[in-house]
Amino acid sequence: MKLAVVVQRYGADISGGAELHARYIAERLSRHAEVEVLTTCARDYITWKNELPAGTETVRNVRVRRFPVARPRDVDDFGRRSNTVFEQTHSIHDEIGWLESEGPASPALVRHIASVRDAFDFFVFFSYRYYHVWHGMREVPAKAVLVPTAERDPAVGLTIFGPLFRAARAVMFNSLEERALITGVSRREGPGVVVGVGSAIPDRTQPWRFRKKFNVKHPFAIYIGRIDANKGCAELFSFFERYAVMYPQGVDLVLVGSKVLPIPTHPRIRHVGFLSDEDKFDALAAADVLIMPSQYESLSMVALEAWALGKPVLANGRCDVLRGQCIRSNGGLYYESFEEFAEALYTLDATGPIGAVLGGNGQEFFRRHYTWPVIERKYTDMFDRLKREPATPAIDPLPGFFARRRRDRPPARQVVDALPSGPVVR
Amino acid sequence: MADLNVRSDSVDVEQIMRQIRARIREKRGVDYTEAEVQQLAGVKLEKFLDPRGVRSDLVEQFKKHRIVSPAPKNYEFEDTTLYETHRGLLRLARKLLNPILKLFFNPNKIVAALHIQAEVNAEYHRRFRQREELDPLFYEVIHNLVIECTRLGVEVHNLKMRVESLGSRLDFDERRGRSLESVVQYRRAAPNNERGQGEQRGPGEMRSPGEQRSPGEMRSPGEMRSPGEMRSPGEMRSPGEQRSPGEMRGPGDQRGPGEGGGRRRRRRRRRRPGQTMGDQQRGPGEMRGPAEMRGPGDARSSGDAGGPAESGDGDHSDSDHGAPDQ
Repeated sequence: MKLAVVVQRYGADISGGAELHARYIAERLSRHAEVEVLTTCARDYITWKNELPAGTETVRNVRVRRFPVARPRDVDDFGRRSNTVFEQTHSIHDEIGWLESEGPASPALVRHIASVRDAFDFFVFFSYRYYHVWHGMREVPAKAVLVPTAERDPAVGLTIFGPLFRAARAVMFNSLEERALITGVSRREGPGVVVGVGSAIPDRTQPWRFRKKFNVKHPFAIYIGRIDANKGCAELFSFFERYAVMYPQGVDLVLVGSKVLPIPTHPRIRHVGFLSDEDKFDALAAADVLIMPSQYESLSMVALEAWALGKPVLANGRCDVLRGQCIRSNGGLYYESFEEFAEALYTLDATGPIGAVLGGNGQEFFRRHYTWPVIERKYTDMFDRLKREPATPAIDPLPGFFARRRRDRPPARQVVDALPSGPVVR
Repeated sequence: MADLNVRSDSVDVEQIMRQIRARIREKRGVDYTEAEVQQLAGVKLEKFLDPRGVRSDLVEQFKKHRIVSPAPKNYEFEDTTLYETHRGLLRLARKLLNPILKLFFNPNKIVAALHIQAEVNAEYHRRFRQREELDPLFYEVIHNLVIECTRLGVEVHNLKMRVESLGSRLDFDERRGRSLESVVQYRRAAPNNERGQGEQRGPGEMRSPGEQRSPGEMRSPGEMRSPGEMRSPGEMRSPGEQRSPGEMRGPGDQRGPGEGGGRRRRRRRRRRPGQTMGDQQRGPGEMRGPAEMRGPGDARSSGDAGGPAESGDGDHSDSDHGAPDQ
């Protein structure tokens, strides 16, 4: 079997959520099939500037073929177009313009997909919202397997994506909430399975090594990820400062990751920067609890890693996915206000009665659903099923010239707000 | 206050969250939203007494920017003012023609009105000057008031923080104690008694090794122990018997390395980083599963002081209390 993994960026040093997800899947599937990654030369997800050389290379035993991006993203233009399609009544033409503006616009990549459609059994497309997926899937709908990595943000409400979701041969969802979201917005009925992604969990961690290396003495809660307002870090800082006043002997907060947002100077907040995987897992093992303040997540890999190490998670309850996973796993608590944050964090720290129990539940949840053998089996089973079943009809054609320009599409945010929300408990 | 009360063997996250929310509602009294609380707090303190907005150089700033207004133009208006001129011939002509002018209107009224107006202008200017001279005094008073208000505001804020801090510490201790008690209640009795196999008991107290007491089981008078209760002399323990940290030891009692014989000290149990409370409750060689904990009426509490035969110095007030530590 020959598989093509199509993703916006790819590299051993690229650690974005969907990109890391794609790399893990490509590396794991390469044990079962011949895998080639088709991607762009971009490294930066904001500008999409061509920073990596075009052509082929091998990354961790996986063949990677890169194509140049035609133009970098104009951030102002993208912001204006986003406001138009998310907040105002607009046309399909506006939505396509938004997609072009978002990038990474790589016509060469799309042309290549069209030219090699017969050379691969399936094309696994990552991240529904980008140029390469929308145009690439239109070239090979009968062989397209979509990993949407969709969050509950307005983009999923754009009407151009409905036909995309319906046309994919199979959709590999990250969570039950994501499946409910995409089914709700597109009325998709085809094959699909909730898979998610595993992680490279080390066999042994050494929490004391982290404590010694970074001179961390007190019990602490940990946040791992980009320190950014979009990830909920501003709210986290505000809540934690108030928590520190309420609980003078409570846990400290250790931040791991690159800093985009200024970090408040506080004796109980510690930023240790970007860490290697070894240090990261040591830090996680040393922590009492992982905090996930992000409201927009299709799947939190770091939450799964915390559960894999038997650590409870404190998640933002406004994120349906995280909240649903906490409830289904019985492996973490969630908050929607400061009071809930403080009480839940107090309950979860190591002096509390249930932190360890929740961590154990999370570990079992991870073992049951997110270990690599489980993930790989779900992918290979799906490919086998698709080979047996006949291909679905082609993707819906775009409306005509004038119909595309008719301003009758509702604001995308309004569409998403109208969809049912909340965690999927059962 | 509703304590967090979760069975460790059947955790339900939604149930925990319901209990957390119930506790928040009880604490808060009225179910304000977070935004409402923020708004109330902001109105009461920060709007008027924000210490960041205080200018310590208020008077200096005033003096620097003080502008003494110049005296406005004024005039004197008398009955001859209308006819005044430096030309003698013209003044004569006006005087001669004045009766003719009075045939058309009465200029005396105008003269009187303008005269009064000039006096009013002068009076207002005088009062305005007085006001300007008083302004520095007012500024000084306001400045002092602002400083005092700010000082009080900061003091109130600090006191409020201290009260919150003390309250949360108290809450922390209380809830921690209660949650630990709850956890202990859930544990099934250990298959082996915590006492050593060779432990000697007083008359009427001998039990088989696997014997257990239910939490409510009545003891004979010689057997009843409450935390802090003294042990009878006949209750000597075997040398290898495991003890809880709060138990008093006799002079000949074996001690682990690092434990000074007869040394009076208060031992605080500190939680090591990464160590859970469950780990802390266990002794070094005493790792047990959650189901193996004994009931409160059965396990010897850490506050169970030994009798004189075990007490190294006989001073019970200095023995380990074994109370849950922060």
